[in-house]
Formats: sequence, C-alpha cells, structure tokens
Amino acid sequence: MGDAEISTSQWRYVEVGRVVRFNGGEFNGRLAAIVEIIDHKRVLVDGPSEKAPVPRHSAALAHVSLTPLVISQLPRACGVGVLKKKWEKAEVDSKFEQSTWAKKAAQFQKRRQLNDFERFKVLKLRKQARYEVRKSLAKVRSSA
Amino acid sequence: MADKPTTKKYAKGERSIPHASQKASKYYPAEDNSLPKKARKSIRPAKVRPSLVPGTVVILLAGRFRGKRVVLLKHLEQGVLLVTGPFKVNGVPLRRVNARYVIATSTKVDVSGVGEDVLKKASESGYFTKDKESKKPGEDAFFKQGEKPQKKETSKDRVEDQKAVDKALLSNIKKEAHLADYLSSTFSLRSSDRPHAMVF
Amino acid sequence: MLGYFMEGMIPELSRVTSVLTSWRADFGLALNGLAQNLPTRDFGTSPLTRLSTSTTPVLTPHIAARWFPCRLQEYQVIGRHLPSEANPTPKLYRMRIFAPNDVVAKSRFWYFLGKLRKIKKANGEIVTMNLIHEKRPQKVKNFGIWIRYDSRSGTHNMYKEYREMSRSDAVDALYQDMSARHRSRFRDIQILKVVEVKKADDVRRPYIKQLLTKGLKFPLPHRVSKPKSGKIFAASRPSTFF
Repeated sequence: MGDAEISTSQWRYVEVGRVVRFNGGEFNGRLAAIVEIIDHKRVLVDGPSEKAPVPRHSAALAHVSLTPLVISQLPRACGVGVLKKKWEKAEVDSKFEQSTWAKKAAQFQKRRQLNDFERFKVLKLRKQARYEVRKSLAKVRSSA
Repeated sequence: MADKPTTKKYAKGERSIPHASQKASKYYPAEDNSLPKKARKSIRPAKVRPSLVPGTVVILLAGRFRGKRVVLLKHLEQGVLLVTGPFKVNGVPLRRVNARYVIATSTKVDVSGVGEDVLKKASESGYFTKDKESKKPGEDAFFKQGEKPQKKETSKDRVEDQKAVDKALLSNIKKEAHLADYLSSTFSLRSSDRPHAMVF
Repeated sequence: MLGYFMEGMIPELSRVTSVLTSWRADFGLALNGLAQNLPTRDFGTSPLTRLSTSTTPVLTPHIAARWFPCRLQEYQVIGRHLPSEANPTPKLYRMRIFAPNDVVAKSRFWYFLGKLRKIKKANGEIVTMNLIHEKRPQKVKNFGIWIRYDSRSGTHNMYKEYREMSRSDAVDALYQDMSARHRSRFRDIQILKVVEVKKADDVRRPYIKQLLTKGLKFPLPHRVSKPKSGKIFAASRPSTFF
C-alpha cells in the first residue's frame, strides 16, 4: 500500500474579518466585512469603503460570496470607526481590485455598457482578428 | 313680429300673454335628446422621445426596411419621423416612419450639412403620396400577365432630393471609422440577447 | 407580554417609555398599583391613540444606516375601563404587544385584557399607543422567549432562544420557528416574556451556545449558485463545491 497523501482543504471560512462580496440585490458587487456571525446562515456585515459603502446590516450568506481577503485580528462586533481604520490599513479595496475576480467583473460590466455601435465595432474587429489568425494558421499548415 | 306677446286689457289693469310659439310644450319628449359627446381630447403636436434628436442613428422595427439602421433627419407632424438610409449606404430612401416603431441609439451623425430646402420640401404634405392614376393596374394589366410589368419610374425630383441629402451625409459618415459599415448592417436579435438589458 | 400595570400614574409619557426599557417590568402581572390622582378629563373624553412611527435613520460615520423592515413591530398599548361615577379613575393597564400593525396590536390588547380582567372593548378605552424601537438595532443579541402555545392536544409553556438584532426580529423568528416545528399559527402563540440574555453563560440552549464559541469559523462547502441568465438548459453541471 502506498502512502496516502493528506492535505488540508483550502476552504474560505465564514469568520469575523472575512471580506465578502454581494452577488445580486441592492449592494450588488460591493464589498463588506463580516463583523459578527449571527447564525449559520446570516452574518452582520459592514462595508466602510468610500466609493461603494454598505451599511451595517444582517446579510444572508446565500447572497454573498466569500473573497480570499480577511482583515486580520478584527475584534468581534467592533465599531464602525475601528473597522474603517482596519479596512484602510488592510487595503481591502485596492487588493481586491487587483484580483482576477474584480478584473473579470469589470470587464463584464464594461461589455454590458457598450452601445449598439460599439458592439458592432467589437464584432467587426473580432472578425478581422480571426481572419488574420486563420490566415497565418493556414500558411503554417500548408508549409508543414 | 308674430312672436310678440299680446296685451290683454281688463277692467282693472292688464296682462301680457306670450305668443303661442313661446308656450311651453304640453308633453315631455318620450326619449331624451341625445347630446353630441363632448370631445375631451384635443389635437396637440406630437411629442417624440428626447432621445430622438435629428442626426440620431435609429433602428427601424417595422415595415419594409425593418432591422435597418438609418439616420433621423427631422420630426414631422403627429410623431412621424423623416429618415434616410442614406440610400447610397443601405438602400433606405427618404422615408417617413412612425416614431413608436424605432429604437434610438446613442450614435449621432452630423446632419447640419443637409439642405434646409430639401427637408422643407419633403415635410410638406403630398411629397410622399403616390400618383394614383399611374399606379392602378387596370384590366389590361391583368390580361398581360405573362409579360413583364413596366418598371416603376421614380420621379426625377425625388432622385435629385435623395442625392442632395446623401451627399451631405456621406461626407460626414465617412469621417468616422466603421460608421458606414454599421449603417449598412442590419440589427437582429439572437437567442441569448436580452433587448431590455441592452444599451443602445 | 401579558398585561401588567404601571405603578403610579402616567400623565407624562416620557416616564412610561423609560420604564419600558427595563425588561424586569416584563414579568407577569403587576396589577396591584393604584392609579391615583389621575384627572378624569385628561383621559375620559378622548382616548388618545398616538402612534409614533418615525423611522429616522441612525447616522453612522460612513453611511446612514437604513431601515430594514421587519414583519413585526413592538407596540406599547395602554388602556383602561371607561370611567364611571363609581370609579372616575379606573386602573391603567399596559402591555407590550408584538403585532404587524397598530390595528392588530389594539385587537390583541383587548384579547389579552379580556382574558385577565372584566374589561372588553365596549366598556374600555385605549389611552395611549406607541411604537417601541429597538435601542441598538445594529447589535447582535441573544433573546430568551417564554411562550404559551396551544398545540392540537393541549396547552404548553415553552422557553426558546434566538440570536437576532432586535426583540421584534426575535419574535418574528419565533413565529416562523414554531410554525415550522409545531405547525402552530399566530393565534396559537401567546408571548409571555422576551428577555435579552446578556451573559453567554446564561444561554441555555445548545443551538445558540454553539454560536458563542470563541474564534468561531466555518466553511460553506456546498453551495448552489443560482444562474443569473435564467437559461433552462446548461452545457455543464454546476459546481457546488467551493
């Protein structure tokens, strides 16, 4: 029998200090930190971000996604001021912006905001790019 | 006058008796007289959407040219829009369309170069109406079914107007890349498209 | 939440509300007090039903906390028997009622008062009525609730605990919980007492105790994310494992 390799799972935990992102609803796409766990389905969240704030309220875990970011050593049920300081110190907003998750979301957002003419231009330019790729591919194939 | 009241004199005083025609009728009408309905609506100049500014590229949704992207030239009366393809680009001539059957996009074309007099001419009533006599296929046409029907001739005036409008627009359209291509393409929806969520 | 009485008199409503905040006043029925020196004309002529429904948001430094509506509200209802020649100053009875609106609150007041005293709506009047707001609606608290409820086979008393942000939230959760576990209806449940359990050691129920462990954390291993596009068919099975 071979040695079984056991590694711990890389779960993201629901914990105090965990940064969550709202998926859907009024605060869609906004970030907030878990301030306290109410029960297995709900948490108290607060998002002190300047640009996209989230008021302190109880949010269902079904409506948020856990991000890999955690504000370390956040005291349980801490006040608004403390959270804001810790939030800024942890650079939550800028760190999240650098993630592929945020970049993808921004891209989707941008694509959705394109108007009819811009959509047409995208279609046309993609066609041109595809044509060039196919052409060079055919060249390689024929020479091979 | 016959309608004048007569005065009757008595020993003491007098009284005037109204003329027979002034007498109230003995009978009520069996049926109420119907009054004409009061019109509560008034004819007002049509108010088109603020997005429909002259120069806007609009998508036609109904009619022979449905799906075409055309340039809006002017608002006519009663919510009718004067549009053109331009004819050179996508084959849509100077034409009137209902403002309701149109999607306004955010793309604009400069229409300042289009001659005022042509627009004025086109917005007059009768410009777009057909010449009825020449149109009607008579009995003779029915018996000549095997033969090719005569090609409809466009009046020279209309051709001239179209050319004048196109010329002014085309120079502006060519300035922006892909715009002529865009106008010559048609709009359509696929199964994954959600028009209510799209930005135009 | 059953009826109980304010000692002394209550021309000033501010005093009433100050008493309200101490939960000890919740206990049972203190119906011994006498409403002395209560001027008849103040209440005899018109039963005041003043209802304060101000929802002024509490301002926090970075964003105004908004009102997140709750299905139930807590009302304070004060009523009494109609004054007569024999008794020009009848006793006042005060209750804290959880109800969806003020109409139901008044109805429940008469329901409870009729069970406890020989007073009904026809011979009584409501003196005051106001909405009680949660003092700290942004703090998570543990509530103990004593209830009496009629099951299909008899009447039972119960003690349950809930972890919520406000008293009315806790009572709302209780009604949901009772209807789920015991198929009981709103009419079957009488709330006797709602108390905030301040010390973690005083929490009795294990289902609340488990949430009070230090450094609590747990993963969400199985989640079904709802597709936003609303497509009926998908090319690949959804991933539920994160």
